[in-house]
Amino acid sequence: MKKNSIVKRERIFLLMFLSLLFFSQTLLAQQRQISGKVTGSSDGTPIPGAVVKVKGKTGGTSTSSEGAFTISAQTGDILVISSVAYLTKEVTVAQSNTINISLDDDNKNLEEVVVVGYGVQQKKLVTGATVQVKGETLQKQSTTNALQGLQGQTPGVQITSTSGQPGEAMKVNIRGLGTIGNSGPLYVVDGVLTGDITYLNAADIESIDILKDAASAAIYGSQAANGVVLVTTRTGKRGQASQITFDAYAGVQNVARKVDLLNASQYAAIMSEAAINGGKQPLFTNEQIAAFGEGTNWMDEMFSSDALTQNYSIGASGASETSVYSTGLSYTGQEGVVGGKSLSNYQRYSFRINSEHNFYKEIIKIGQHLTYTDIKNNGIGVGNQYNNSLRAAFGASPFLQMYDENGNFFDNSNSTWNNGEANPYAVMVYTNQNRRNSQRILGDVYAIIEPIKNLKIRTSLGMDYNAGESRSFTPIYNLSAYAYSTTTKASQSMNKGKSFIWDNLITYKFNVTTDHTFEAMAGSSAYQADGSNIFGTNTNLIFDDLDHAWLSNATGKEVAGITIGGRPDDPDRRMSYFGRLNYNYKEKYLINATFRADGSSRFSNQNRWGYFPSVSAGWVVTNEKFMESQKGWLDFLKVRASWGQVGNQNIAAFQYLAPIKLDNTNYTFGDKEGALTPGAYPIRLSNLGVKWETSEQTNIGFDANFLQNKFTLNFDWYDKTTKDWLINAPILATAGADAPFINGGNVSNKGIELGLTYRSNFGEFNYSVGLNGAYNKNKVGEIPTADGIVHGLSNQLFDNALEFYRAQSGFPIGYFWGLKTAGIFQNEAEVSAYRSADGKVIQPSAQPGDVKYADQNGDGVIDNSDRGMIGNPNPDYTFGITLSGDYKGFDFSVVASGVAGNDIVQSYRNQSSQYGNYTTRILDRWHGEGSSNTLPRVTEDNRNWTNFSDLYIQKGDFLRISNVTIGYDLGKVFKKSYLKQVRLYAAALNLYTFTKYDGMDPEIGYGSEGYASGIDVGYYPRPRTFMFGANLKF
Amino acid sequence: MKAIKIYAVVLILFAAGGCKKSFLDTEPVTSVTDENFYKTPADAFKALVGCYDGLQIVWSEGVALPVAAEVMSDNTFGGTGASDGFGYQMIDEFDKARSPSDQNVYERNWALYYKALYRCNMLISKMDQIQWGANPELRKTYESETRYLRAYLLFDMVRLWGNIPLLTAPSAENLPQANPDDVYKVIAEDLKFAAENMQGVTYTAQPVAERGRVTKYAAEALLARVYLFYTGYYAKTDLVGVVTKANALTYLEDVISNSGYGLLDDYANLWPAASLASYAKEDNKETIFAVKYTYTSDYNGNTDGNHWMIMTGIREQAFFPYGNGWGAETVNPKLWAAYSAADTRRVASITSIVDEKLAFTNQSKQREYTGYYAKKYSPMIDENGKPLPEGYGNTSFQIGQFQDYVSIRYADVLLMAAELGSANAQTYFNEVRQRAYKGAFTPLAVNQDNIMKERRLEFAFEGIRYYDLLRQGINKAAQEIAESTTVLNGGKSAEKKILAGNVIATKGLQQIPYTQINLSNGVLKQNAGW
Repeated sequence: MKKNSIVKRERIFLLMFLSLLFFSQTLLAQQRQISGKVTGSSDGTPIPGAVVKVKGKTGGTSTSSEGAFTISAQTGDILVISSVAYLTKEVTVAQSNTINISLDDDNKNLEEVVVVGYGVQQKKLVTGATVQVKGETLQKQSTTNALQGLQGQTPGVQITSTSGQPGEAMKVNIRGLGTIGNSGPLYVVDGVLTGDITYLNAADIESIDILKDAASAAIYGSQAANGVVLVTTRTGKRGQASQITFDAYAGVQNVARKVDLLNASQYAAIMSEAAINGGKQPLFTNEQIAAFGEGTNWMDEMFSSDALTQNYSIGASGASETSVYSTGLSYTGQEGVVGGKSLSNYQRYSFRINSEHNFYKEIIKIGQHLTYTDIKNNGIGVGNQYNNSLRAAFGASPFLQMYDENGNFFDNSNSTWNNGEANPYAVMVYTNQNRRNSQRILGDVYAIIEPIKNLKIRTSLGMDYNAGESRSFTPIYNLSAYAYSTTTKASQSMNKGKSFIWDNLITYKFNVTTDHTFEAMAGSSAYQADGSNIFGTNTNLIFDDLDHAWLSNATGKEVAGITIGGRPDDPDRRMSYFGRLNYNYKEKYLINATFRADGSSRFSNQNRWGYFPSVSAGWVVTNEKFMESQKGWLDFLKVRASWGQVGNQNIAAFQYLAPIKLDNTNYTFGDKEGALTPGAYPIRLSNLGVKWETSEQTNIGFDANFLQNKFTLNFDWYDKTTKDWLINAPILATAGADAPFINGGNVSNKGIELGLTYRSNFGEFNYSVGLNGAYNKNKVGEIPTADGIVHGLSNQLFDNALEFYRAQSGFPIGYFWGLKTAGIFQNEAEVSAYRSADGKVIQPSAQPGDVKYADQNGDGVIDNSDRGMIGNPNPDYTFGITLSGDYKGFDFSVVASGVAGNDIVQSYRNQSSQYGNYTTRILDRWHGEGSSNTLPRVTEDNRNWTNFSDLYIQKGDFLRISNVTIGYDLGKVFKKSYLKQVRLYAAALNLYTFTKYDGMDPEIGYGSEGYASGIDVGYYPRPRTFMFGANLKF
Repeated sequence: MKAIKIYAVVLILFAAGGCKKSFLDTEPVTSVTDENFYKTPADAFKALVGCYDGLQIVWSEGVALPVAAEVMSDNTFGGTGASDGFGYQMIDEFDKARSPSDQNVYERNWALYYKALYRCNMLISKMDQIQWGANPELRKTYESETRYLRAYLLFDMVRLWGNIPLLTAPSAENLPQANPDDVYKVIAEDLKFAAENMQGVTYTAQPVAERGRVTKYAAEALLARVYLFYTGYYAKTDLVGVVTKANALTYLEDVISNSGYGLLDDYANLWPAASLASYAKEDNKETIFAVKYTYTSDYNGNTDGNHWMIMTGIREQAFFPYGNGWGAETVNPKLWAAYSAADTRRVASITSIVDEKLAFTNQSKQREYTGYYAKKYSPMIDENGKPLPEGYGNTSFQIGQFQDYVSIRYADVLLMAAELGSANAQTYFNEVRQRAYKGAFTPLAVNQDNIMKERRLEFAFEGIRYYDLLRQGINKAAQEIAESTTVLNGGKSAEKKILAGNVIATKGLQQIPYTQINLSNGVLKQNAGW
C-alpha cells in the first residue's frame, strides 16, 4: 500500500501544479457574457438542461427550458456543450457575444456504450451477441415486473409468465432451452450476482443488457450457461443537470377471456349421456335437465373484477463537481384478478441510493449502489393440479352451490351428487389464508483507483441480503367428504440469507503506436452465501383469524399437531479468476479473448474447478477505404464471429454425497403409543464424479446501418450445445433411493435472430418501427439413462395420469409424448374394419364414438410403441413488434409480441372421476354417427381421455398486443422553466391476443418441472389492464 | 519501476482474493453421509430401525396389501365411495377395462417396497464394516432381523406381482424380472438364517419395550407360511431345495413347544372394535409378528400411522365404536353366511348394519353396499364421537390411525402345523375351533378341506384368505372368487360380476406400474392379463 500512496501523491502535486498554471493564465484575459441557444440539429427544438462549460474550467451552466444559456467566457475559450442523448460539441468563442449551437442526435447508437461483464464497451466495438434495452423503454411498459416489459424487445430471449398472479416470476430462456435443470439466466445487478430481479422497479433501471452468446457471457464462466442479464440501476451522470422525476400510473385489471364451462342443464345432459353410453339408465329426464337451469358459474365466482394496479415512483439525480448521485423511492401495488386483493396481492416498496465521489482529482473514485425492497404479498396456489386453486373451478359441477341458506359457504358433504367435490371458491378462501413479507438489500461499495492514466484498479464488495417471513392460518371448515379441517391451525416461518461477493479487477488500456489499441483486464471474485430458516405449526388457536395466527396464540399441546424445524441453508462458496484481452486495429479489426476459472463448493474435490475460454472477432467493413464510397446508403457494417464455453453448476449443495436421513425415520416398539425409536437410512445414491455442465456456442452475426442510419439491422446465427447436463433423472424405483445428479445428455439449440429498426420523420412527425424475430430449433442428443430418456412426471394432468412429456435423443426437450388419433369410430363396422396388415382388429373393445388411435408400428395393438411426439412446447419462432411515434407533444407506442410453432397441452378435467365439469367444447362431441370426427363420446370411465393423445393438444401460436400507450406532454404547453416534462398518458396492457388457443391465456410458462412448459392445468391468466399515468420532470 | 508497482498491486489483490483452499470446503451440518455412518453398533441399530421404518411405510400410500388381498379374495368387494374412481373395482374384478385411467395403482407401493428393500440390502452389505467389538451376538441378531425384514418384503412383492426384479445388494441398474424361484430362494435362505441364528427368546422373556422386534419364532412361522404358499401356488414339493415339508413342520413345532406364545381365551379380544375395554392390547401373546403403527403421522414427513385402515371404515358415517371411513372392502354376504351363528368369530370379524341396528343412511355414498363391513381393522371413535387419534392430538383420522397390523398369529401356526401333518394335528385344529365356538364346540375331523374352511373363518380380513385360495391352484381360486350377484351402488341395485376367466388370465397377480415399465424401457414386462 505504501508504494501506491506515493504514486497518488506524485499525481496530486502534478495536477495541482498544472491547475495553478491554468488559473494564472486565465487571470490575464478579458471575461464577458456569452449567451445563446442550444437546439437539436434534427428538428430544431430547444434542448433544455444541456450543460455548457468552458473547457478546462470548473463550473458551468445549464440551459433553460427554451434551451437558452448565458456563460462568462472570453475570446479563444472553448465552450463544451453536452446533453444526454446528443453528441457533445465544442465551439470556440469568437468575437460575437451570441453563440447558437445545434447538437447532433446521438441516435447513431454506435457511439453508445453497452455493459459487458466487468466493464463497458463501445457498442461499435462489441464482437459478441448482446442486446440492450433502456430503462425508459421498460418503464413505458408499465409492468409490475421489469422483465415482463422486456417481452417483444429482445430477439432470442423468450420471456414467459409462469402465472398471472401478481409478483410471480417470469421464465426467461435465452436462445432456447439448454438444460432440463435450472434454465434461468444469471442476473447481475450493478456487478452483484443474483438469481432474481423481481424486486426491481423499472424506474430504478438504467438499462438491461443481455449477453446471449458464449463469448460475451464466458467472463461469468460457471454461472453463464443460460446467458447473462446485466442490470444497471440508475446513476447520475457527469455533466447532467439536476433533475427530479415523478412517475405514476394506476389502472384496473380484468380477466381478458374466461373459459366457458357447461351450465347445470348442459352438465346434467352430458352426465346423463355418459351413463347411457355405459349401458345405464339415463340419470335425468329431459324435464329435469331443463329445470337445472344455469347453476353456479364457477369461473365467474373465482374472478374478481376491476382489480387495482398502481405504481408511484419519485427519483432525483444529478451531478456536482466531484460527485454524481441518483436516488429514488417507489411503490408498486397489484391486486390479483383471481380471488381479489385478500387472496392474491402484491405490494412492493423500494428505495435506491446510488452515488459516486471523486477524490484527489479523480485518482480515486468511491461509490455505492444500494437498493432496498420491502415486498408484502399473498397468493393462491398456482402450481400443479394438487396445488392450483383455480383448477378446482374447472371441474366443480354447476350443481354445487356457492352459499347455503345462511349465507355460509355451502357444505357439500351431504350432497347426493358427488359429495367428494367441494366449493372451489371456499377451498381457495380457506386454504390460502396467508401473508408473506420479505426484505432485500442488494448493492455494493466500490473503489476505483487510477494511479496512472488508463490503469484502473477496482475493488468492490457486493451484498445480497434477504429476509422473509410468512404466516398462514387454517380455519375449521367442512366443505365435502374430503375437504375439511377439524381444528384451527397456524404456521409461521422465517428465513434469512445473505451472499457476499468480493471482486477485484485491474484494467489497463494502452496503444502500441496509434493504430493498435489494447485493453487488458484481470480479476478475481470470491463468493459466499449463507442462510437459515425456521418454521413451526401448531393447532387450536385462541382467535380464529389470520391476524391472530401466531404460534403464541396456538394452544395445541399434542405432539401430533406440532411441527417445528430449523436448519441452515447449505453453504455455497465460489472462487474465480478471470481475464480479458481486447485488441483493435484502427477500430477496423477487433479481437476479444476471455478466460475464466471457477472453483465451486458444490462439487467434490476432484471436480471442483472448471475452465471457460472464449474468443471473438469483428471486422468493421465500413472502416475500410474501399467502402468509403458506399457511405450514405451503407453507413456502418460490422461482421462478427465468436466462440466460447460457459458452465452451469446449478445443483444443490452436497449432491456428490449420499446423505443419511435421520429425521422422520422412526419405528414404534413396545406398548407405548407415540414412543418413537429413531432410525436412519441412506436417502440418495452418491455420485462423487458429478461435475460442471458446459455450454459451447458459436455465433456469427453482423450489425448494419443504412440510409443515413435511419435503418438498422442486426443479424445473428448461433449454434449452442449444452453438454454434460446436470440431471436428476428419475431412476427406476428398484434402485430404492433417490437419484443422484449425474452428468449426461446434451441439447443443441440452433437458430437465427434478426432485429430491424427504421426511424424517420414526416416533418414534425417522428416515427420508428421495430421488428424482431428469432428462430430456434431445439434437439436433444444422447441421454445416459437406461433407456436414453429422461421421463416426465406422472400424476400431472389428472389423478393417476401417466407420463406425457420427456426429454429424449433426437427430439425437442420436453416434447409431448402420446398417441396420435385418427378420428372417431362412427359405427361398429368401422371398429371391425380397423385392422392391421395381418387382419387383427386393432381396437376390439372400442365402440362407436370412441377415439381411433393410429397404430404407428402396424402390429395391430395400441401400446407404448405407438406413442411418439405429438407436440412440442418449444416455439420455433418468437417475435416482437414495436411501433412508436411522436408529433409535437403527442406520443404513442405499440408493443406486440408472440410465438409460433409451439403446442399447448390443456387438461382442466380430472379424468379419473366421472363427475368433472367440461368446457363447452364438449358440446361438439360425438353423439351419433357423423356428429363428430374429432371429439369422442362421453363415458363415465373417460376411456377416451385416459390415454394421453393429441386430443389434449392445441396450437400455441399467439400474437399479443401487450402495450398500447398514448401520451401528451403538457410541458410544452406550460412552458415553465422548472417543468421539463408533464406527460400524461393512457395505456392498455394485454389489449388483445390473437390466438386459436381456447384457454384463457396462451402464454403458459407453467410446466410440471424445470424443462416442461406449455401445460395448462388451469392457468392464472394475465389480466387486461387499462390505466392512466403521468411522468413529471422538474 | 511503473511496471513493478503494477505487479505489486496485482499480486496483493490476487493474494487477498485467493484465500486459503479451505474456502471451498464445506460440510453439511444437518445430516451425516454414508462415509461416516455404518461404523458402530449404535449406527447399526439406527439403520435397523430404518429398515423397520421402511416396512412401516410400504402401505402408507397407494393400495395397501392387507386391503388389496381382501378385495381380491372372495371375502369382500372393492366398495369405496359412489363417486370415486373405479380402481378398487379393477382390483376386485381383475379387469383393467374397469378403470382405464388406473395404470399406476401400485406405483407408490412398488417404489416403497423397493425403498424398504434398499435399506435392508444396504445394512446387510455393511455388516462386515461395522465394528462389533466384544459383541458378536449382536451382529447375528441385527443381521437376522434385517434379513427377516427383507424376506418379509420380498414375499409380499412376489405374491402381489409375481415377477419382480430381485435385488440382494443395492443397485441402480435396469434389472429384468427374476424367476420367482430365485426370489423364493433368497426369502427361504434369509428366514432360515434368522431361524438358526437368533436366540429363542420366549414371549414372556422378551422385554415389553422390545415387543415388535423380529424373533426366532416369527422367522420360523413365516418360513412355514412361505413354504405352504410356494409349494401350493407353484405346485412344488419343497421350497426351492432349502426347506422341506418336514423342515417346515419342525419349525412350527418349535414355535408351539418353546415360544411361550399362545391363543387368547376370547377371539373378540384380538380386535379393538370387537372387544373395546376387554381388548387384549397390541403385542398380546397371540401376536407372533405385527407391523406396528402409532398416531404420530402428519403431512410433514412423519409416516408412522396405519394409513390404510381408513379405507375399510363405514362410508362417511360413524357409530360408536366404529369410525367413519371410505367404505372399501364391503363384505360379501356369503362370508357372513359361512359362519354359524354359534361362531364367536362372526360378530368379532364383521359389522352387520342390520344385526347391530346401526342407523346407516349413507347408502347413496357407498359403492357396492352389502350391509356388512369389516370390523377387525376399522377406524374407531370414542363415546363422544371423536376419532381415537384425536385423543392423542392427531386431528387427521385419515393418517392418524394406529392399530397394528397383526401379520402372524399363533392360531395360524397351529393351523399350519395341522396342515403340514403334525402328529398333533387334531389337537391343534380343535384348539382353534374350541376358542371360536366356546360352549357350542363340536369336534370336526382334521383334513385339508376342513382346515381351509376354518382358515377362512379364522383369518377373515387379515390378508390371508386370498393367498390360501391361490395356493390351492389358480383354477380353484378363480372358481371361488368368481361372483355374480347384486349390490347397491349409490343406493341403487346393480349387478356385480367377477369373471373366473380374469383371475385365470392374470394368474391372480396384479399390475406392474406402467411408469416403471416405461422407465425401464421395456425391460420390465407387464403381467399377463394387464
